[in-house]
Amino acid sequence: MSEDDRPIPRKVSQADDLAPEGVYPPTEEMLSEPVPADLQKAQADRLRKAWVAPTGIRYVTAVNNSEVGVWYSMTAFAFMLIAGVMALIIRLQLAFPENDLISADRFNQLFTMHGSAMMFLFAVPIFEAIAILILPGFLSARDLPFPRLSAYGYWCFLIGGISVIGSVFVDAGPTAGWFMYPPLATQDEGIGSDIWLLGLSFIEVASIAAAVELIVGTLKCRPPGMRVNIMPLYAWYVLVVGGMILFAFPPLIAGDFLFELERSFDWPFFDPTRGGDPLLWQHLFWIFGHPEVYIVFLPSIAIAAMVVPTVAQRPIVGYSWIVLSAVGTGFLSFGLWVHHMFTTGLPSISLGFFSAASEAVVIPTGIQLFAFLATLMVGRVRVNLPMLWIAGGLAIFTAGGLTGVMLAMAPFDFQAHDSYFVVAHLHYTLFGGMVFPVIAGVYYFFPFARKKLLSERLGRIAFWLIFVGFNVTFLPMHWVGLLGMPRRIYTFPGGLGWDTVNLMSTIASFLIAAGFAVFAWDVIRPKTRQPQIPRNPWGGGTLEWTHDVPEELWGTRSIPYVTSRYPLWDDPKLLERLDSGRYYLPDAETVRRETMVTSVIDAKPLLIQKVTGPSWLPLLAAVFTGGAFIFPTFHVYPPAIASGAVALAIIILWLWRETSWPPEHEMRDAGLGLRLPNYAAGPNSVGWWAMWITMLGDATAFASVVFAFFYYWTSSADFPPVAMPDPDRALVGLAVVGLLLAWAATVSAAWLNARARVTAARAALIVAPVAAAGGAAALVLSVIGLSPSTHVYPAVMCALAIWVVVHAGVGIVMQLYCLAASVAGKMTPRHDADIQNVTLYWHFHLIAVLVTCAVMGLAPGVMR
Amino acid sequence: MKTPQEPRAQEERREFREEAESLFRITFAPVIWAAHFLLCYCTLAVVCAKGGDPDFWRTALVGLTLVALLAITWTGWRAWRQWDAHNTGDYANARGEDEDRHQFLGQAALLLAIISAIGVIYTALPLVLVEGCR
Amino acid sequence: MRGFRHTVTLAGGLVGSGLMSGCTGQQSALIPRGEDAAVQSTLFFVMLVGAVVLWLMLNGLFFYLTRVRPGAVPQRLANGMIIIGGLVVPAVLIGALLAWGLSILPDQQRSGDGLTIRVTGEQWWWRVEYWPEGAEAPIVSANEIRMPVGERVEFALGAKRVIHSFWIPALGGKMDMFPGRDTRVSLKATEPGVYRGQCAEFCGASHAWMAFAAEAMPPADFAAWLDHEASAAVAPSTPDAVAGAEIFAREGCGACHTVRGTDHIGQVGPDLTHVGARHTLGAGRLGATLEDFAAWISHTDELKPEVEMPAYGHLPEEEHRLLAAYLKGLQ
Repeated sequence: MSEDDRPIPRKVSQADDLAPEGVYPPTEEMLSEPVPADLQKAQADRLRKAWVAPTGIRYVTAVNNSEVGVWYSMTAFAFMLIAGVMALIIRLQLAFPENDLISADRFNQLFTMHGSAMMFLFAVPIFEAIAILILPGFLSARDLPFPRLSAYGYWCFLIGGISVIGSVFVDAGPTAGWFMYPPLATQDEGIGSDIWLLGLSFIEVASIAAAVELIVGTLKCRPPGMRVNIMPLYAWYVLVVGGMILFAFPPLIAGDFLFELERSFDWPFFDPTRGGDPLLWQHLFWIFGHPEVYIVFLPSIAIAAMVVPTVAQRPIVGYSWIVLSAVGTGFLSFGLWVHHMFTTGLPSISLGFFSAASEAVVIPTGIQLFAFLATLMVGRVRVNLPMLWIAGGLAIFTAGGLTGVMLAMAPFDFQAHDSYFVVAHLHYTLFGGMVFPVIAGVYYFFPFARKKLLSERLGRIAFWLIFVGFNVTFLPMHWVGLLGMPRRIYTFPGGLGWDTVNLMSTIASFLIAAGFAVFAWDVIRPKTRQPQIPRNPWGGGTLEWTHDVPEELWGTRSIPYVTSRYPLWDDPKLLERLDSGRYYLPDAETVRRETMVTSVIDAKPLLIQKVTGPSWLPLLAAVFTGGAFIFPTFHVYPPAIASGAVALAIIILWLWRETSWPPEHEMRDAGLGLRLPNYAAGPNSVGWWAMWITMLGDATAFASVVFAFFYYWTSSADFPPVAMPDPDRALVGLAVVGLLLAWAATVSAAWLNARARVTAARAALIVAPVAAAGGAAALVLSVIGLSPSTHVYPAVMCALAIWVVVHAGVGIVMQLYCLAASVAGKMTPRHDADIQNVTLYWHFHLIAVLVTCAVMGLAPGVMR
Repeated sequence: MKTPQEPRAQEERREFREEAESLFRITFAPVIWAAHFLLCYCTLAVVCAKGGDPDFWRTALVGLTLVALLAITWTGWRAWRQWDAHNTGDYANARGEDEDRHQFLGQAALLLAIISAIGVIYTALPLVLVEGCR
Repeated sequence: MRGFRHTVTLAGGLVGSGLMSGCTGQQSALIPRGEDAAVQSTLFFVMLVGAVVLWLMLNGLFFYLTRVRPGAVPQRLANGMIIIGGLVVPAVLIGALLAWGLSILPDQQRSGDGLTIRVTGEQWWWRVEYWPEGAEAPIVSANEIRMPVGERVEFALGAKRVIHSFWIPALGGKMDMFPGRDTRVSLKATEPGVYRGQCAEFCGASHAWMAFAAEAMPPADFAAWLDHEASAAVAPSTPDAVAGAEIFAREGCGACHTVRGTDHIGQVGPDLTHVGARHTLGAGRLGATLEDFAAWISHTDELKPEVEMPAYGHLPEEEHRLLAAYLKGLQ
């Protein structure tokens, strides 16, 4: 019987024929049964061996969250110190009127890099760094689900960060301010703007990688029983912030894409002489930029949400209120972006909407603070050093918040906008909402991360230096701003009432620097003689304080079953049971790294997930990805393309070798009488979630490019221009057909493979890339006759075509990957995670194809 | 999987089961706020740029505001029922049980509905107070 | 060069002529001299008082709870505080504030009473055109705004290459100036005086030195001034000035600058027809004394980094003096 006339077999890979077996949740009886001592030791030895860190030069191949998290934090902190030194030079230049310590050009490089580095190399990455470091601790997970992705993200961050910040040291830094407004930034003659764009795009990619990692970690790697209503507030914040990154960063990536096309190929997206509009960049930048402020603020307030209950020695009051406030802020923060554009001449009523949303966001933020106050009210307060920093942060942040309320009043903003009032405001919100809570977090979590305590005395000295220095530096800036001093001026004339204030700010800024010096010394000073610290030095109630002292790299000895928000306070037997390996995954029989994957809402155990170990691949992939972004800065494209190809090859190799191979045993013992599958495909697997989340971000970026098209239509009376040639409609239609066919073939391949019709599935996987290539080629041909440098209309058409063609290329690689996986036995009807993820990719891509082709083929006709 | 917990009414177990929940449900009200906000902004941006009667559209959008508020009220009412605090007397929902998780998601959705309603009302203020396109 | 800087900048540091010196409030939004600035400053002070009160209450409570450490209060009270303090009070206060803010939001977008002044941001100076109601051709000037007191004047704003922002804090809020896009703002001065305006949007190397004087004048004086501004230049007759005029022509200054009534009709740089009567030089960079003129001509690049006008430092000092005499004479 040939394959084709066999009856269609039923689908082989159904999620439920891989269901967990055994008892869940565990009974008290099972939990109280002791583990024999010799078994405990044998298990611990195997676990230790599985999680051993590489040594010597191979240390850089480590991917474990405890290693990568520390590198990430220290790197971000180092960038912060460098950007802080830049601020000191800025302050010195502004100490006296008409000072000539540095040139205008140097000053402009410094303030641009100060802002860019603080935002992109410190504020956002430090969130990712701290979350990578401590989130698994909160969740008693052994590691995050994609350790190599964390490592790759870190190396991208390091390489991109050094290339961006290094530009200032060779006098080639960007000079157009951290928000790079065109036409100033597009007209800039040096390579500064390119370094900014490409370097930061590179880092934005790393941020999105971290967001994917953290969202999947929070949703799928919680310990059994940790339902959404009892997960630590920090995890809620990580979830919200991860989601915000997915919607906030892509518009900027889309903006960078258009911007770099203008810089490199003279496509006039922001050039008003050829139909472009500089205001479009402002929209794209601030759709990113304002949520970004909350992306920075929420994780820091999350640290406060962990410190405050410990200080009050009782559970947080208003847990749901804080969750509401985090989610609510996440949403509202996307309705504020135009308050950075109040003076751009938009209609008053438009400003009114954004003024309203900017005021509305105050309410969830206020609720957050009042929940902390309420917790302190009902508790027995025991103030510690981290709490001192939180208190200082609160004092500063509330001031910044209140000036924020003022600035959101558009008529007042007409005066204060782009003046030193704004400089003061933003430093108040960022110091109070971010720097102070993060330092509090460093003091609080240092014992968790490094198994040492920082100095109480140095901590207090640093606090008072920074607190006093900060207020003396920045409080008067509100005043001088309203006396008319604009921001970003490299010098100023005397006699306007600005002189004394500026001198005072400069002097006090050195107090801040001294405070940071004390803090930095405290962090890096050798602590080898310090006696062993207690395991739970602050008396916290959450799972990170089950960590091992002295350090063990396995994350947790066994993964506990959790039934309350503060398990350490509520379950006195937890620690002993955890240490004896009574809970889940107490062993590593095959000496491989593993963690447990649970369900999204109730954290029911789903499967045992293999976790990848040390490897050179993430580092190498990051180096070559770096090449792909950094070479174009110098307008050399062949090595950039070669680098990109090598990076892609390395990433494919990494995926091929380590992910989704059929396991030796379908089911494994997870402890406590529970047997779990070892393999998952589709929504049960972490890979599927990662793809879903990544594509959501990608779709947002695509939507931003489409938004650009419609934006030009609203901002110009003649768009699409009557006299301009359109993309060839027939070819656009052909592209739709080709890509639709490619999508259908991919979906069919998944369907056929799941029904064991492997040959037919492989045939479909041969048809699919051919159809995709044909469709992509037709799309290229449809715009080949346009000249994108003449006007923004052909430029935006070509940009859309590039977007689709590049994505089709990635889709083709994925299809061929599945074909190869099928042939190599990596993908079978039963083990089809690869094709399921690829199908998901193609679903998203199909939407992009249809929208693009509608815009290219139909919109010009309709809109003229 | 066997679940050795005390038997509960079949109906209740169905109501509280994990598959019936979605984290997305708590975002309904804020999504209504976002849709309302974007519609208000985009409509008037296009009307002011491409021509049209802003005062007519302002009135229309006030109507839309009422619809949005109704939808949020409905979401909030459902969430209030789900929270069920007036029956259980439990305001914290802090236990690791199906029922607490169910009620917690109700409470979170209710609070988000309140915030979203305030957001929608604020967004409607310019519709009432700011005339024309200048 | 340091020595040079300190000598001219002492004069220039006063931001203009004697009229403006010593007056620290001339660029202040808190000493309002215009209708809009007055409303905005009232708004600010009301919000300031509210902010201080709220800040003290919130942080006072926090201090009390963490330092004085009172006994624990019942959970119910704490819950109530979240609802009252976190939700109800802010929602009401902010709602009221928002309604006030929205009601005054379009004020600066009102149309003017007749006179329109078109200002174009250049690198780094201001091209200014006066369009009285019904005028068919503008009266061209540069780097200075004059306007009648008590009349709402409309400013039509644009820019040549990059974005700038037009801001006279003492009169009202700012408005950005875009290449290829028109923006408008209107201002109404309530008291005569000379105020300082400055570019508020970062626009490149010499952003710090893109300023101007804005003089609000009694309407009659303004009308007279505008008539004079519209007239062609009267060639100054002192021997120094005549010699200066020759150097001006010899060095080709007219390729960039216009002096109406002569054959200097350059459009690249500021119109110099009545430059001698202005309060400042180099877009607010220096005052307008003879020394300032000489300093500007010889050291443009140093006074204003990356400025387009070349420095004429290679000319003998005597010629700087003569050029200054000519330009200052263009009253």
